[in-house]
Amino acid sequence: MIQKNLNIAFYIMVGVSIVVFIYLVFLGYDEIKTFKDIVKIVGSVVFPIPILFFTRFIVIEHFLPENTDAYKLKNQKPATVLLVVSAISVLLCMRFLEFITHKKLEDMLILAHLINSTTISSYVFNFLLYNNLKANGILSGVLMALAIHIFFLST
Amino acid sequence: MNIIKTPKPQTNSSKRELLFTFQTIIVTGLLAFTAIAFFFYNDLSVVKGIKVIFAPFLSVVPLLFILSVLRDLRNGFIEGNYTKQEVLKFGLITLAITGAFTIITLLLSKINALEILLAGIIAILSTVFFLRSKIKDILGMSIVTGIAEGIIVYMIFLF
Repeated sequence: MIQKNLNIAFYIMVGVSIVVFIYLVFLGYDEIKTFKDIVKIVGSVVFPIPILFFTRFIVIEHFLPENTDAYKLKNQKPATVLLVVSAISVLLCMRFLEFITHKKLEDMLILAHLINSTTISSYVFNFLLYNNLKANGILSGVLMALAIHIFFLST
Repeated sequence: MNIIKTPKPQTNSSKRELLFTFQTIIVTGLLAFTAIAFFFYNDLSVVKGIKVIFAPFLSVVPLLFILSVLRDLRNGFIEGNYTKQEVLKFGLITLAITGAFTIITLLLSKINALEILLAGIIAILSTVFFLRSKIKDILGMSIVTGIAEGIIVYMIFLF
């Protein structure tokens, strides 16, 4: 059986996601007044899980690429490119949407929670089952874009 | 740290069955959560105590009857891959059921008596268990996923 060691990138990604989550809760702390808001947050956190199970159900074939040096070398460049491209494009997309709707992401915390939880669950899912480096790159890019947006670009 | 540790080699169909079981557990949890949320949020009143005790039996008894009478409807999970057409079809079914269950949850939230709400939720739960035990197929999986997503979509956007 394949036994995989979790690498440091995995821990960092999960850590970033948790920090984003805590920050989002902290940011919307004043708005959490009723039971309703807690239900909404719980809902947005568990949202991706049934979809992931369903996806896994359909894509059962375990095409786990071995994490060899050759595989890494082959995917190094496309994965890095995808990381940068997805980070920048998601960042631009969020800016654009804010510009269009005249709303800040901070006002739509549920959406931010949704993006965060979806990304990190797909990341863990991909990491544990498929270890597809390209998908890894895209998901890391999306999470990075969200973190940069929340922490640095919003005033 | 070994996250993936399986002592015995698993076939695809047994993996699918495991995933299906997980999905049913999630739906059960969600339904319980919904019931509690509605109960607290709407300040539901127990009109007549004895009704609350008997409400679940309304749907549990037919379920037990059906389970004892019916044989397995499907042959179980298949070993190989699904074709693109099947994937598309069941994806659409899931979407449709998601929509339907968003509306059903909306209707449930309108109920203002605990015993009726309880009866409704137990009825959905019985359906899920029926699917779990008799329709072991991608159809059952897509319906269960649809139910879960419908409840979550309601929780996020409409509640």
